[in-house]
Amino acid sequence: MITAFIHKFSSPKSFVILTEKLYPFFIIAGVSMLILGWTWGLLFAPQDAVQGNSYRIIFLHVPSVIFAELIYFFMAVCALMHLVWRVKLAAYLIKSAAPIGAMITFIGLFSGSIWGIPTWGTWWQWDARITSTLILFIMYLGILTLHASFSNLEKADRLMSILVVIGVVNIPLIKKSVDWWSTLHQPASISVSGSSSIDPSMLYPLLISAIGLGFTLISLGILSSRSYILSREKNKKWVSERV
Amino acid sequence: MFNSTFNNFNEILDMGGHGIYVWSVYLIGISIIAISFLIAKKRIKEVHKKIKLKNASS
Repeated sequence: MITAFIHKFSSPKSFVILTEKLYPFFIIAGVSMLILGWTWGLLFAPQDAVQGNSYRIIFLHVPSVIFAELIYFFMAVCALMHLVWRVKLAAYLIKSAAPIGAMITFIGLFSGSIWGIPTWGTWWQWDARITSTLILFIMYLGILTLHASFSNLEKADRLMSILVVIGVVNIPLIKKSVDWWSTLHQPASISVSGSSSIDPSMLYPLLISAIGLGFTLISLGILSSRSYILSREKNKKWVSERV
Repeated sequence: MFNSTFNNFNEILDMGGHGIYVWSVYLIGISIIAISFLIAKKRIKEVHKKIKLKNASS
């Protein structure tokens, strides 16, 4: 019954039709919220007592690393769906999401490095948080390289899914690295379960920026998956009809 | 909450000496995201073109 339900709602055709309709909402909401969040954070949020204005990098850095991890988690769920229920849409979504994950992880690493120069006096440190995030970036590149190295796409999908599932162990490591090891990177300032150690005047623009970046990345994912699905399903009748 | 921290445009650019770090991060970050959108849109156009050519030839 679960298998029938999953297969019914995971056809590439239904996905393309649905996401084409949702795209305008995500792109408009995403860009509007990013403009609001970043304007608020960069121009109106107060200066930090210790870090001065360099902390304003937080409004890009923190949302980037949050989505670097969330995209991988999403890929891991898709990988399980592909391996257990043979859902081919799930494999298409992994292949479409991996470059976006690599891109946003790079932005997270890059913004963190630049932030480190005035704050820590160094742009790089081999501490647990930064190193595990670099491993995440390498995982994204590895997944893309593995898929590209096979001419048999079904086999490539399967092996890519296995690698994604193996690599998911890195996500809790990134999350907990600042608690388990002594790191230069500060512990989390925001907590979903407990109280956040960040002032609301900085927290609200950060949340708006994070939601805005999330919507923007979803809209990028819609475009990326659309081109990949159409190219993989190009011999199907529904693709010819739509194009 | 909505009073600007800065008094003029130069202060916004300088950000107390941290402007070079803050603005370079946003400039490069936004550029990377924008380029990703352009690449994704270009790929859709290319795929559409290929499928149209295939349909025309068959």
